[in-house]
Amino acid sequence: MASLSLKNIYKIYSNGFNAVKDFNLEVEDKEFIIFVGPSGCGKSTTLRMIAGLEDISKGELWIGDKLVNDVEPKDRDIAMVFQNYALYPHMTVYDNMAFGLKIKKVPKDKIDKQIHEAAKILDIEHLLDRKPKALSGGQRQRVAMGRAIVREPKVFLMDEPLSNLDAKLRVQMRIEISKLHQRLQTTIIYVTHDQTEAMTLGTRIVVLKDGIIQQVDTPQNLYDKPQNLFVAGFIGSPAMNFIECKAVKSGSDILLMFGSHSIKVPEGKAIKLIEGNYIDRDIILGIRPEDIHDEQLFIESSPESVIDAKINVYEMLGAEVYLYFNIDQFDITARVNSRTTARPGDTVQLAFDLSKIHLFDKETERIIVN
Amino acid sequence: MISNQILQDTIDGIKAISRVDLCVMDMEGKPLASTMLEVSEYDKVVLAFVDSPAESQVLQGCQFFKVYDDNQLEYVILAKGENDDVYMIGKLATFQIQNLLVAYKERFDKDNFIKNLLLDNLLLVDIYNRAKKLHIDTDVRRVVYIIETKAEKDNNVLETVRSLFSSKTKDFITAVDEKNIILVKEVKQTETYEDMEKTAKVIVDMLNSEAMTQVRVAYGTIVNEIKEVSRSYKEAKMALDVGKIFYEDRNIIAHGNLGIGRLIYQLPIPLCKMFIKEIFDSRTPDEFDEETLTTINKFFENSLNVSETSRQLYIHRNTLVYRLDKLQKTTNLDLRVFEDAITFKIALMVVKYMKYMKSLEY
Repeated sequence: MASLSLKNIYKIYSNGFNAVKDFNLEVEDKEFIIFVGPSGCGKSTTLRMIAGLEDISKGELWIGDKLVNDVEPKDRDIAMVFQNYALYPHMTVYDNMAFGLKIKKVPKDKIDKQIHEAAKILDIEHLLDRKPKALSGGQRQRVAMGRAIVREPKVFLMDEPLSNLDAKLRVQMRIEISKLHQRLQTTIIYVTHDQTEAMTLGTRIVVLKDGIIQQVDTPQNLYDKPQNLFVAGFIGSPAMNFIECKAVKSGSDILLMFGSHSIKVPEGKAIKLIEGNYIDRDIILGIRPEDIHDEQLFIESSPESVIDAKINVYEMLGAEVYLYFNIDQFDITARVNSRTTARPGDTVQLAFDLSKIHLFDKETERIIVN
Repeated sequence: MISNQILQDTIDGIKAISRVDLCVMDMEGKPLASTMLEVSEYDKVVLAFVDSPAESQVLQGCQFFKVYDDNQLEYVILAKGENDDVYMIGKLATFQIQNLLVAYKERFDKDNFIKNLLLDNLLLVDIYNRAKKLHIDTDVRRVVYIIETKAEKDNNVLETVRSLFSSKTKDFITAVDEKNIILVKEVKQTETYEDMEKTAKVIVDMLNSEAMTQVRVAYGTIVNEIKEVSRSYKEAKMALDVGKIFYEDRNIIAHGNLGIGRLIYQLPIPLCKMFIKEIFDSRTPDEFDEETLTTINKFFENSLNVSETSRQLYIHRNTLVYRLDKLQKTTNLDLRVFEDAITFKIALMVVKYMKYMKSLEY
């Protein structure tokens, strides 16, 4: 088990392409860290630099108290699980798990002990004599995990290990990985582009874009307190709604004006707008779909945030309904209760939960107030 | 492996020269070739000799010798007589048969055949004859992968690749140099280049996680006949080179997907030099500072879009315009103009190619 420290890490290719820029991160022992971001954001490159499979252009990488920039991957005490795992087709599960240790010349009795321990953790003891073709997709994935576990590494690195599985199996394996982390009590760094995986698995999430860290935080904080427009839009499904508006002063109130609509900013958030000199300037209002309400009771209790909306699309998901509509040129989604009576073509009243709105600087895209 | 007739011819020849009777037996004491009329009396003695650690022994008026194939006992040779001359002839016969084994093995060795096939060391007629003898299909679809490891002589990599594909008897794994492993893979009729890419990804991921080493995988085009396998190999080799020069960030390179790098790679160096002199005169792109190079690359990345580039570089639009103007003064190329931009981009790639070729000279 070990902590990890990435200090001012850069990855610059010889064509000048800067894949990772000034990456700073402290990973505590036993943490489950997720790197998430759109494709090409540098998450896999960073993971590969930690593994030693890519050279670090600038910066320092520490595993425990050892600087490992120039240490060979096999000597870094890490184990990796990748997306395109394969099992040796002619070997049994036992031999598949033993292979890596055999080529490292680990004594037979130690190999045997480690395989049985790993098999127990993964609940695949009964499969040890089987060949890969006799295994299901989930079982094969577990064997691939087992190959990493038997190495008894200080750190596990996983690069989208579930993306080749079908949706149902992916959910199942996600739970398995979560359990595995609890059982192994080890440091895991996990790369994914799937935000559900990120939110459900990680103790902390690193959101990346264009090789730059956007925010490092717990899943809850990322959702509730995004630090910029990108994080706000990337985390959450359906994504947060954004409306360009102007902050104006009306008497003692601060209003957000967009098109023919105006809503009153709650006092606590209004102070931040005044302090930041945002009055009479364009800002961006962000609101999550579930913070737009159609219940009569809510509408009556917050008349200052009510808007009229013509529903374009109605999507029934069983427990909830997504309503799609436009406010001026902005596409908006509301997530409401399935008992809603709104249907496409209807003009309905909807109210924003003003305590949950997020306001962003239009130029810097940084958060003003959450 | 060697036919009994060949063994018989060999010992007959030796007897004709030395007048010493010889016999070749297998490990169970069964005679395979002999110049003596009766050898059944030695059956049991041979079995005892096989079990003994001795390399040679004198028993019942005969000298016994062991012949090994890759440390595995293959034959026992009997030379009639007890004196030193017979010992010497027996030893010579042993040496001769041992070498025959090696020669025959080499001749029929699949690995050797594949190596020679890849390196174009075989005549067309030999390819088909030997493939037939080795039971290798001549008209199936195949593709060649080259797996380049960071470290030389990385046995873990070879071991991992062998284990991954060895159950498929129709795939061949070999190595022609210290850094590269070659996989000649049979391709099913239904398989496409997407499947080739998937296989390459599996190889990379497996070697990264199991052998824990950096690898680069290149593959050629699918060929339909065994005689074309060397073409697929050459294509894979070229893809590996082109990838190293122009696509450093990729660890899988397909010959079918080399882009403009394919053209530049074929250019003769004197022509490249002329072109670079024309574009940059006495300067080289190395002389541009890091800021200029980053600006150029970002500008290309964003399809010559000034606003987007300045946004991504966190600089004012006018700063970017100033930098581009400055570059125009030194190179006479305005990167905002498509034709100039493409000339500049190609020139940068040509410089990279020239540098790579120069590095090979040392």
